[in-house]
Amino acid sequence: MAKKSSKINEVQTLKKKNEELEGHIKRTLADYQNLEKRVAEERQNLIKSATRGFILKLLPALDTLILAKKHTEDQGLELAIQQLSDILEKEGVKKIETFEKDFDPKYMECVTVAEGEDGKVIEELKTGYTLNENVLRASQVAVGKGGN
Amino acid sequence: MGKIIGIDLGTTNSASAVMEGGSPKIIHSSEGRNTTPSVVDPISHIVGDVAKRQLVLKPKQTIFSVKRLMGRKFKDASVQGDIKWIPYTVKSSRDEMAVVEVEGRTFTPQEISARILQKIKSDAESYLGGKVTQAVITVPAYFDDSQRQATKQAGEIAGLEVLRIINEPTAAALAYGLDKKNAHAIAVYDLGGGTFDISILELGEGVYEVKSTNGDTHLGGDDFDQLIVDYLAEEFKKENGVDLKKDPQALQRLREAGEKAKIELSSSTEAQINQPFITQGKDGPLHLTMTLTRAKLEQIVDVLIQKTIKPVEQALKDAKVKVSDIDEIVLVGGMTRMPKIVEAVTKFFGKEPNKSVNPDEVVAIGAAIQGGVLGGEVKDVLLLDVTPLTLGIETLGGVSTPLIARNTTIPTSKSQVFSTAADNQTQVEINVLQGERPMTADNKSLGRFALDGIPPSPRGVPQVEVTFDIDANGILNVKAQDKATGKEQSIKITGSTGLTKEEVEKMTKEAEEHAKEDLEKKEQIEAKNSADSLIFTAEKTLKDAGDKVDSNLKKEVEDKIADLKSVLETGTKEDLESKTKDLSDSLQKVGQAMYSKGQQPTDDKTQQQTDDKKETEDSQSDSNDSKKEKADSGKEEPVEGEVVN
Repeated sequence: MAKKSSKINEVQTLKKKNEELEGHIKRTLADYQNLEKRVAEERQNLIKSATRGFILKLLPALDTLILAKKHTEDQGLELAIQQLSDILEKEGVKKIETFEKDFDPKYMECVTVAEGEDGKVIEELKTGYTLNENVLRASQVAVGKGGN
Repeated sequence: MGKIIGIDLGTTNSASAVMEGGSPKIIHSSEGRNTTPSVVDPISHIVGDVAKRQLVLKPKQTIFSVKRLMGRKFKDASVQGDIKWIPYTVKSSRDEMAVVEVEGRTFTPQEISARILQKIKSDAESYLGGKVTQAVITVPAYFDDSQRQATKQAGEIAGLEVLRIINEPTAAALAYGLDKKNAHAIAVYDLGGGTFDISILELGEGVYEVKSTNGDTHLGGDDFDQLIVDYLAEEFKKENGVDLKKDPQALQRLREAGEKAKIELSSSTEAQINQPFITQGKDGPLHLTMTLTRAKLEQIVDVLIQKTIKPVEQALKDAKVKVSDIDEIVLVGGMTRMPKIVEAVTKFFGKEPNKSVNPDEVVAIGAAIQGGVLGGEVKDVLLLDVTPLTLGIETLGGVSTPLIARNTTIPTSKSQVFSTAADNQTQVEINVLQGERPMTADNKSLGRFALDGIPPSPRGVPQVEVTFDIDANGILNVKAQDKATGKEQSIKITGSTGLTKEEVEKMTKEAEEHAKEDLEKKEQIEAKNSADSLIFTAEKTLKDAGDKVDSNLKKEVEDKIADLKSVLETGTKEDLESKTKDLSDSLQKVGQAMYSKGQQPTDDKTQQQTDDKKETEDSQSDSNDSKKEKADSGKEEPVEGEVVN
């Protein structure tokens, strides 16, 4: 009798252990499958934005050229800027339009406020860009405050 | 069952992490960043990076640092201190708690924090692809019951069941697994964006107890940035007589440049600050160009670093422990990336701090681990081991050829086909090696065995498949099988991962130290192997070609063979390579000559490959190696290239 009950005990322990293990494997497998899905997704994103980091590093140089243009009237410089902008545009980089727009924190960062119509962009201080519809770098703008 | 996420709800930035497959992973925000600024506009419902961008425009509507108000009475000295510099309105509620007022509406700090938690929750849901309902949230060790309660409420408002509130320093210690390391006294040095905290923890029976905390609630990365900006502006003023701080646009660029330089100087000793057209001077545009050295930066911010030392001393005193009693030190917060801070901490404690986990993420990771423990996941998960060192076999010339790379998760198996190094070789010896060095002699031999009975055939023809299989317990089975006869031999090695941590570290370190000379040695042998191989091919080609080859050309090739043979043992790598190339060029002419007699021509590349593929053996000069296997030719091309080239 004692032998039998110990057998039953053993079976129950094993059953429990089996269940545990099964749950375990399922969970691990699920984690793995999810990971695979995410890896595939991330790879897609990676392909889309592989150039992102590089373009971000490149933008300050373009900023400088644009700033330089404000100080000289060299046609060559303008052409150089145009050329660089065209290349970027082909890679999916788009300029964020701020001229006479309402301030939108999704695309713009307010660096300072100036006199002018409330909530309107008064001046663009640094051009912002999107890459494939995602904000690459927000525009830095001065926003109107106090006026109408 | 949904996942339990761990959340570091910070003063300046927040982060979250989750356990996946038994290890914690940081959840990136929808903006693709590892942290989210703790900034909220409760009126327009915007949170994080986007809210931060309107801080200047809507200072009264954009709430930041709300953690400073959590669960505090309006009359608290700290609240009274903070409202002097906080631009938004803080008021007293009916029950005298500090609340925020925006556009006539009042919000409790819990509600504001809940907005941050909501964003974290939804980012986590899109990352995990499922509902998230449970969380572990961290708070500073000095938070009292009311502040902890408020944090818990914030979680509930955000729709999260807060399973536990844990201390930030405890989470950091968990992230480093210090609970399993037998560390009794732990110091956690946390220098974040706006606050500095030092905590002394004591571990007893698996539970952390906070013995003391100290710090400075208004000292952090922002102060460091400010000092750098001040310095840059001052230097510029000296040189150009213009105060950049008066020009908002220039000041903005100065801030960005300063922060960038600070980050750069954590990994390099010099940073270029280059901001053309920063402002307009009397005689036209002015440019900011400056070189900031790490030494200069350290001099500028030294006063701030020194300010952190006093609280550390006080915390030790309060905990009644001596500096020498501290077993482990943990660094938290982005500022602790600065080498000078690591140095100051190391000097103070006389010990290297733990800093391998990203200091911005370490608290969230610890919270996720706690979540994993609560969810039963951490206990349940099979902790899969890794092979601490590379496993491989010895091949021609005493080269160690890896089969399973270090840090491969086990159980795993891998096989590769090798061949013989000599004609009519009937036996191969498999020498199983462990270690990172390219040469056999420098690695550890775990065991060896021989596979014999290989039918006599030219070198490179037999195919011997070597299979490495490590089971979950680290037991390594090595099997060698002759594909032609099906004959096999194997060995079981039990100690393949049983090295002590010290041994692994020593071997890894040695490999790094000797990397250069090892590579040279290996290249030398590879040059010799490929020379040797070409001699064999050349001799065979001449023999096969017989009379079809012009005698002058034959002579030329024979001379070059002799030439190469003469330097095979003694020549330098360059010497061997150039003579090998000479011979190869001449040999190609033989090939061309033969093909031109009726067959289609072959391009140089194919010829070269053929040369490399066939193995040659000069049994006299190479006799000591003749028993060792050689990579196979034929279809297993990548394998072959690896060893022969």
